[in-house]
Amino acid sequence: MSLIGWLKGNRLVDVTAQDPLPVQQQGAITSRTADTLFANTTSVTADANRDLLGSTATELPTLDGCMQYRKLVWFYFRAGADATTYRVLARATDHNGAPLGAGWQEIAPATPLPGEANTWGRIEIPSAGDGYYDQYRIEVRRTGGSGYTLTSKIVGVR
Amino acid sequence: MTPKVCLVLLNLGNFNRAWTQILRNLGIDYTLCVTTGGATSASIQTPQGVFSPSSPDLRSYFRQFDAVILCDNSNSLSATSMVNYSVFWLSWNDPEDPAFLFFNPHFSAAITESGYNSNFPSDFSIVRPNPSDIAGTLYAADGGSASSSNPLSATGTGGRGACILFLAENIRAHVQTICNTHTNTIPYYWKLDTAKHSTLADTAYTHRVARNERAGEILAVPAPPTSSEDTETYPSDCVAAYRYRNIFWLPHAMARTQRAVNLWDAEVSPFVFWLLYGLQAAGVRPRYRLPVQIETSRPLEALDASSNPPYSLREQCDFLLASWDWMRDFARRKGTAIVNGVRVGGRDRAAGSRQHWGILYNTSHPAEAREAAMRVHQILVAGHREGTTPCGPHDYTIGSGNGLWGSAVNTGYIRHAGRQRGTPNNVPIARGNFCVAPHVLPTGVADRDAQTVQVGDTELIEWEISTSGAGDTFDLPMGNIHAARMIIEGHIDEMLALGFPDGYCAGHRYTNTASNNSGGECYWQALKEFGFRGVRSSSNCTGISIKRVPPNRIWQGFHLVGDEAVDNCSSGAVFSRGLYLPSAPSGGDAVRHYLLDHGSDISANWATGQVAAWRAYRRLLCQTTSIWLHGTAVELSSAYFHPNQSLMCVSLADATLPFEGWSRLGPYGTPHYNHAVELLENMDAIVRLLPDVLYWGTITDVMDHRERVMG
Repeated sequence: MSLIGWLKGNRLVDVTAQDPLPVQQQGAITSRTADTLFANTTSVTADANRDLLGSTATELPTLDGCMQYRKLVWFYFRAGADATTYRVLARATDHNGAPLGAGWQEIAPATPLPGEANTWGRIEIPSAGDGYYDQYRIEVRRTGGSGYTLTSKIVGVR
Repeated sequence: MTPKVCLVLLNLGNFNRAWTQILRNLGIDYTLCVTTGGATSASIQTPQGVFSPSSPDLRSYFRQFDAVILCDNSNSLSATSMVNYSVFWLSWNDPEDPAFLFFNPHFSAAITESGYNSNFPSDFSIVRPNPSDIAGTLYAADGGSASSSNPLSATGTGGRGACILFLAENIRAHVQTICNTHTNTIPYYWKLDTAKHSTLADTAYTHRVARNERAGEILAVPAPPTSSEDTETYPSDCVAAYRYRNIFWLPHAMARTQRAVNLWDAEVSPFVFWLLYGLQAAGVRPRYRLPVQIETSRPLEALDASSNPPYSLREQCDFLLASWDWMRDFARRKGTAIVNGVRVGGRDRAAGSRQHWGILYNTSHPAEAREAAMRVHQILVAGHREGTTPCGPHDYTIGSGNGLWGSAVNTGYIRHAGRQRGTPNNVPIARGNFCVAPHVLPTGVADRDAQTVQVGDTELIEWEISTSGAGDTFDLPMGNIHAARMIIEGHIDEMLALGFPDGYCAGHRYTNTASNNSGGECYWQALKEFGFRGVRSSSNCTGISIKRVPPNRIWQGFHLVGDEAVDNCSSGAVFSRGLYLPSAPSGGDAVRHYLLDHGSDISANWATGQVAAWRAYRRLLCQTTSIWLHGTAVELSSAYFHPNQSLMCVSLADATLPFEGWSRLGPYGTPHYNHAVELLENMDAIVRLLPDVLYWGTITDVMDHRERVMG
């Protein structure tokens, strides 16, 4: 005899595979494990410390409120092959949203941005392990050639 | 029936996402079809398969839509191929066929493809532009000057001017209008073949979009001048928009460029009016209309002599009084609410004597000036109560002048000293040194004075918290919920002391923040606790550049509404010297602020040609209305201006009368111009033109709509 029973047709029945505990249908249940966080077009320049939103204010995050995501996936399409590096910075905030301190933890040092002209790329942030940082700053800098357009989408994965 | 349109485009690499964002905001379903090229041989790739552009299958496919929209355009009349495949559709004119919306269509005589030329309707009544004979096939628009770059790609500056007369509606409106352009970067209107049009206008035609049941209809033309000073006239065969059977030949609507609609920083798409107009003309009935509203920042204040304004304190109060009387009446008539961010902090902290609190209560001001200021204030308070001019707090006295979380520490912060709240208590002013989530906090660890703090989803027990002491002045760390609560409580208290019944725009539960700094999570949490539903915020939401708003601009149900400034001068120039003033500082007049002087056709003619002022007037109205309409239709954000700053160029004697060129002068001997009157009247003309798409609403309607379409 099962330790758990339930009333079925005024009769106490055991919980079995044929008589599972009743559950109330709550409507269509959807689960979503990834969110689109960012879709943007950036002119890639030779400016130092320029992020995907075109800001050179070094304390300004590109993305904020990301603690719920263990990973960010950055998809991009680069219109030019000109030599370019990217750098990823991250940090945590307290519950008020205040960074724990000034500056950033560099989780990806300046690295050549893969791809030729008119090609796609995909970069995981962080590259290994889980993130759960609150703020990220993603900088892109052209180190040679001339300007081109970089179109990006960033997905947050829970 | 669900409205549905089809967008046809060459590729997604040169596609402005504002096309689809507007459709989403209107609740119009859409399908994207990509072509394999621009020639007549191109295939049209639809979700249901690939079709030849001339095939009966494609025609049948199109018949499921309310309208088919061509997205591609060219800035070169010499191009031989762009949307050549669409020539077949010009003959799909049965009642079952959809409306076709051609924006800035490329139908140049330079197209050599025989498949295009042989299928182009012989009775089409707009002359095909010819790059070898531009003067004989097009009319140069807006003074005929060249833009400094491709005018089709303009964003928030460099606008072109046009006053358009919509014939069926008999409404004049200033909307940026470029029918075609060329590599010379000159905007053009079209030339009508009057004989062919006459025939079409006499030909009976049945289609749901043919309001006059005729095969041809002139929809819009450059409006004739209203003043003899304005010599920019166009021949009677000049048209801006035309309906050929069920085909709408319309001006440019969207730049052909990769432009993401990111809720942080969508670049202004200044030609969206024509998309909205086209949708309405084509009978595409949106599920939702878009609410139109505007805000001001700092509705009552004056500049002191150090800024060298042209008017005295009393005179500044007088033109504000006349303008606010007019704006309140406008809001009453239109059913809108003009939200105002009232500068607070003047009671408890150091603030200018000519700012809201000081201008009312500083007894060093002349009595007649204070009396005029008080009348403005009473309009705002009465308007707040009746719903026409709701007001909320807007504080520059904190955060080093940058507002909420404008600095890491607000040195020498002054809070209330007595009055109805009594002697200040010793209260927390910073995050506790120890903060532990309650479900993992061991028993007996927290101090006896521990507090539970919740910001968003995070609840923590805090202890060892710095406190203010019982004094009324101390250094306040700004980045925490305790500071946020203290600051906002003070704001609401000052609004009440000013005579407003609440401190958050009445039922709208909203305010616009100083410097558009909304302060980050701890401020959003505190604002929610005080009853706010949203605030206006830049994407960079703190004065010290350490935070961003969430991508969708909604945090825990709290709205962070985007900001679009539509002043007629730069903030750095302090106030407007009018449409144009040669001696004005950089950004000190509208022409310089918005880069409206194309080929020096305003600056070089200002002293000698009266038309230059009308040109400047047209361009300013087109530019600012475009930005406002972009905020309304693409971003669902808020446009705003600063009354004292933008209205400094009015005539005192006739402060709210319309612009009349050199017949009515303001300060500096230049034409009178009331930005509030002109801008609101122009937007009203557009709202009246587009009743299926726009309505005068409120910030509550904007936030409601954001929840409706962004969920």
